[in-house]
Amino acid sequence: MATRLKKRTVVIVGGGLTAGLISRQLTAQGIEVLVLERGGNPSNGAAEKLPNQRDELRWDVRQGLVQDWAVQTYSLRHSRKDSALPVRRMEAFLPGEGRGGAGNHWTGITWRWPEYDPALRTRLESRYGKTAIAPEILIQDWGVGYAELESYHDLFEKLFGISGKAGNLNGQIQAGGNPFEAPRRNEYPQPPLEFTEAGLILKATAEKLGYKPFRMAAGNSSGTYTNPDGLKLGACQYCGHCDRFMCEAKAKATPELLLFPVLLERPQFEIRLNCHVLGVDYDRDGRRVTGVRYVDLLTGEEYEQPADVVVLGAFTMTNAKLLLMAGIGEKYDPVTGKGVVGRNFCYQTSSLVNLFFPDRWINPFLAAGCSGVNIDEFNADNFDHTGLGFLGGGAITANLKGGMPIRGRRVPPGTPRWGTAWKQANADWYSHSFALTAQATCYPHRENFLDLDPTYTDAFGQPLVRMTFDWQKNEMRMSEYVTKKMEAIAHATDAKIVGPAVPRKSPFDTRAYQSTHIVGGTPMGTDPRTSVVSPHLQHWDAPNLFVVGASVLPHNSGYNPTGPIAALALRLGDDLVRYVGKPGRL
Amino acid sequence: MTPDKNDPQGRRGFLRQVALAAATAPLTAGLLAADAPAGVAPPPAPAAGPLPGYASLSPDEAGLLEAMLNLMCPADQLTPNGVDCGLAVFIDRQLAGDFGRGARLYRQGPWPAGRPELGYQLPLTPEQYFKAGVAAATAACRKAHGKRFEELAPAEAETFLQDLAADKLDDSHFALGAWFNGLVYPLFEQACFADPLYGGNINKVFWKMVGYPGLPATHANDMLEFRGKPFPGAADPKSIADFS
Repeated sequence: MATRLKKRTVVIVGGGLTAGLISRQLTAQGIEVLVLERGGNPSNGAAEKLPNQRDELRWDVRQGLVQDWAVQTYSLRHSRKDSALPVRRMEAFLPGEGRGGAGNHWTGITWRWPEYDPALRTRLESRYGKTAIAPEILIQDWGVGYAELESYHDLFEKLFGISGKAGNLNGQIQAGGNPFEAPRRNEYPQPPLEFTEAGLILKATAEKLGYKPFRMAAGNSSGTYTNPDGLKLGACQYCGHCDRFMCEAKAKATPELLLFPVLLERPQFEIRLNCHVLGVDYDRDGRRVTGVRYVDLLTGEEYEQPADVVVLGAFTMTNAKLLLMAGIGEKYDPVTGKGVVGRNFCYQTSSLVNLFFPDRWINPFLAAGCSGVNIDEFNADNFDHTGLGFLGGGAITANLKGGMPIRGRRVPPGTPRWGTAWKQANADWYSHSFALTAQATCYPHRENFLDLDPTYTDAFGQPLVRMTFDWQKNEMRMSEYVTKKMEAIAHATDAKIVGPAVPRKSPFDTRAYQSTHIVGGTPMGTDPRTSVVSPHLQHWDAPNLFVVGASVLPHNSGYNPTGPIAALALRLGDDLVRYVGKPGRL
Repeated sequence: MTPDKNDPQGRRGFLRQVALAAATAPLTAGLLAADAPAGVAPPPAPAAGPLPGYASLSPDEAGLLEAMLNLMCPADQLTPNGVDCGLAVFIDRQLAGDFGRGARLYRQGPWPAGRPELGYQLPLTPEQYFKAGVAAATAACRKAHGKRFEELAPAEAETFLQDLAADKLDDSHFALGAWFNGLVYPLFEQACFADPLYGGNINKVFWKMVGYPGLPATHANDMLEFRGKPFPGAADPKSIADFS
């Protein structure tokens, strides 16, 4: 029998970025928050101390900071006709665990999405006509506009000390920034990181071709920085150990450095680590949730934690799973198109091309995770899609990310896979090559969705989340277009060899890393028939239940999603202050 | 000495001192010319050879693996042979440790076969799978060439390995191509390029070969000074042992 605990005001499931941001807003107004986090305290371990912090095998290849797939994984089928199998060791994407969540091992790239993205259906229909979006593509407006989120983007960038160059200050296009950027009230809190050699190559080539290259918006601190809460970042040392690593220089913006130190001092805040949430208690007749149940991993004991308000702030898959298991909201049915939980599940569409420069020293190890250069001319709806036969697009980027030698080497096409010639090619090209990459949109498709696996269970005896996902025609056409543009840029550099530029194709492959930007499953929107939560992230069927994080994004853009996720979380924090004062429909 | 983590100047100063101390440690260079091709200067030999003894592999398993690694990494002007680089020790220790025993691998049944994009789907631990593959490769080699892999002439061995990697040796019972490409080859690359802490990449020979400077990599100044230029630290990489 689970022990019933004392009721709390707000209980958040998952102790990552969104929990930190929401808790900051709530506790500042004296409202008590309890966070339940399945992992432990990641700080001061080998992961963030020299010399072991730089261990590529341990943290990168063996995924030392990533969810333990032996405990919990996901199953996959490429279509409803197939049977799903569990992905026994996921390589394609990497959820985190522990206080700070994936915010510990993220790279730090912090875009705002284009101004039109929160109203994407309206945008595309007004630009291309009412029939431009095929019926099987479930793009929907969020119901909250960019203008309402701008102040929260601004606050998040200050809290996390983001380094970058504005491209659009209050509608005025700025040289050196992204001309497609949504208008911002302020410059970035810190100047951009230095250019890498690869970045300079893309910059010069893009300018020659008439594009407007710009530097990434970086959660790698270009200088020393103190945020509005008095918390500090050190200056980035350009070691490139960001993505899949913790930062030993305390220069990567993380919840652990920039949110939790203040929260842990506040009497209204409590985080219980090593507490794995098993379920949400739902009073269907009362149309409300009453709390959550969890197991304390240090004792094995189960607890019932009553709450006035429950916030699901876990990884994309877990948010959907908790709703499906509790039967909160109707499960999505791809046959009828009815139901909502699990729909709008999207990934992100990436591709790359390798470039080889015998006469230039690329020095891939002289880089930060975010010291890249981008062009945005072919991203999302930044270009005219009339007659192209697809929607969406991607950013084209030159980003070195540290040149780690197990996974960060490139050899020209045709190189043997072993022997002296293989070694010689590695010796010749390691410091003389880099990749251009495209990170592109993935729009929701009727046949891509989440539900509960009928066969496989996790270590707690609960069903795995089952992904039904594959690359659809729209994404494959889009990837072909963007990858061709990228290939043309590659050929316009002075590269001596340009590797094959292969667009993303079906079937979705779990064996190679592509992106951890998994979105949807509990989409937000204005219509309860097509969304799980309202534009205020309030559940339509249980007004004291809120969902936050990537799972509420109804589509994926050609940008990393942390910016809008953080802005929505800060806004939810403020909304919850009002809700706790006066419960009701927000 | 406790450098202030928020003071980059203090940090860099500290790390530069550490780097200097490590750079002055003597490098014991030996010769390892026995199996280097004639006419090329052998590279400096490892300060120490691979640790003797295997934790997981039987003598027969080690025999095949060592022959394979010496074929994939022959002694040449770039590195000593694969065994002398510690590649077999690396793989043995990985198989005997968390990775080989299937830590972090979801291992609940049922176990139907799936398309390759769903990833590894066998109930075997990576260690068991490795050994099953060695046995299957040995049988396939006997069938194709009438002898054990380690007894093949170099050209025959190369052909066998090419066929293995190209999925041409699969029988109905064991997918040898998937075994080589999904398990053996990644372990080979890791053995070459992981920190020498794990037993491979002895003397950082592969890092030197490509010019990876290793750690600690505090490049805030180097970024500008050596952008687009040869980086001096690439000739003398630093590993975890250098800071321990």
